[in-house]
Amino acid sequence: MKLSVIMPVYNRERYVVPALRSLVRQRDAADLDIIVIDDGSTDGSAEAVRSIMDENPCIRLYRQPNMGVAKTRNAGLRQLPPETQFVSFLDSDDISPAGRFARDLAFFAIDPALELTYSLMTRVDVMDDDALKPAPGGSSGTVRGVSLSAAIFRRALVDRTGLFDEDLAQGEDTDYLLRVFETAPRHALLDTVAVYYRRHAGNMTKQTDVVMRAYLQVIQKSMRRRKADPSRRPVEGLFEIRNDVNG
Amino acid sequence: MRHSNVYRVASKDIVFESFDGEAVVLDLSTGKYFGFSDTGSGVWQALSSGVGVQAIAEASAIAAADLEGFISRLLEFGLLAPADAPGQPLPGEIVSALAAAREPLSVDVHDDLADLIVVDPIHEVEEPLGWPAVKQAN
Repeated sequence: MKLSVIMPVYNRERYVVPALRSLVRQRDAADLDIIVIDDGSTDGSAEAVRSIMDENPCIRLYRQPNMGVAKTRNAGLRQLPPETQFVSFLDSDDISPAGRFARDLAFFAIDPALELTYSLMTRVDVMDDDALKPAPGGSSGTVRGVSLSAAIFRRALVDRTGLFDEDLAQGEDTDYLLRVFETAPRHALLDTVAVYYRRHAGNMTKQTDVVMRAYLQVIQKSMRRRKADPSRRPVEGLFEIRNDVNG
Repeated sequence: MRHSNVYRVASKDIVFESFDGEAVVLDLSTGKYFGFSDTGSGVWQALSSGVGVQAIAEASAIAAADLEGFISRLLEFGLLAPADAPGQPLPGEIVSALAAAREPLSVDVHDDLADLIVVDPIHEVEEPLGWPAVKQAN
């Protein structure tokens, strides 16, 4: 059972190795295929990835001139091998919790019609990059929010959903997830943490005006889709704060 | 109609944008968002830029009662508030958009993404309050 994980990288030499280590430590959970797309990094990101590729042949690295995150995710989708059955994502500054893939993949084994699991994300202010988990007291809140890493998609759902919208400077992940959930795929909302989301000074999501505009555009695209195709559903009851969960 | 028939966007929690002439408005305090017909998009753009009701009525074929009803909904939703200001001129592109519009004047409210809007790291921008403290504070 092949699971491909797509990781876009842009100037994350400090974080990309822990991110990859958090994936390869789960290689027993599936036939793991890690697709790293370096989006024209100007730092040592590509070298950092290469430094652990020898001992981890499941990592594939592709490089392209800088094109932005949507095109980079699409480059990853285009590298999916035909035999890939499941697809997930991890951003190059985040950490995949130990056992995360095994936990979610078990649900697909029980329910052959299941198309998607969607789990929780924990925001982390201080990461322990050796232990690959939040430092004691370093996490600050768990939510079911917008994160491609919270999902494991069955391949057919990815093929049906199509590509990320390359016209969006940001919010391409929100747009993608809304497009997925509007079609009401058979899904399971799991109460376990699927990603440690690292907060740091370089987070893209801090550019206020750009974020807000992209956000409004994503919302409007959703309204347009539902107007044009009434079989598409509003995405209700999905997102929530879950501070009762320990990251 | 009152003499001061000019409005402003009600608060900084009301954010809006138009894409290809279609307006979308988001209330960050509630997570509700609003979509418009083509006519509604034009009227929203005019009102939110401080164009007086009279000028909109004169430049379009919208019935006065429809316009009043539409504005009362925007006031009820908390998107607009009366402004104590002289009306701005109606931009030519809005006049053209209203002339080309085919749908009746309307606004729809949606709350299906309310939790997302409050949960999302979009609130990272509101340091030091941070995400997801916005909802906890409510």
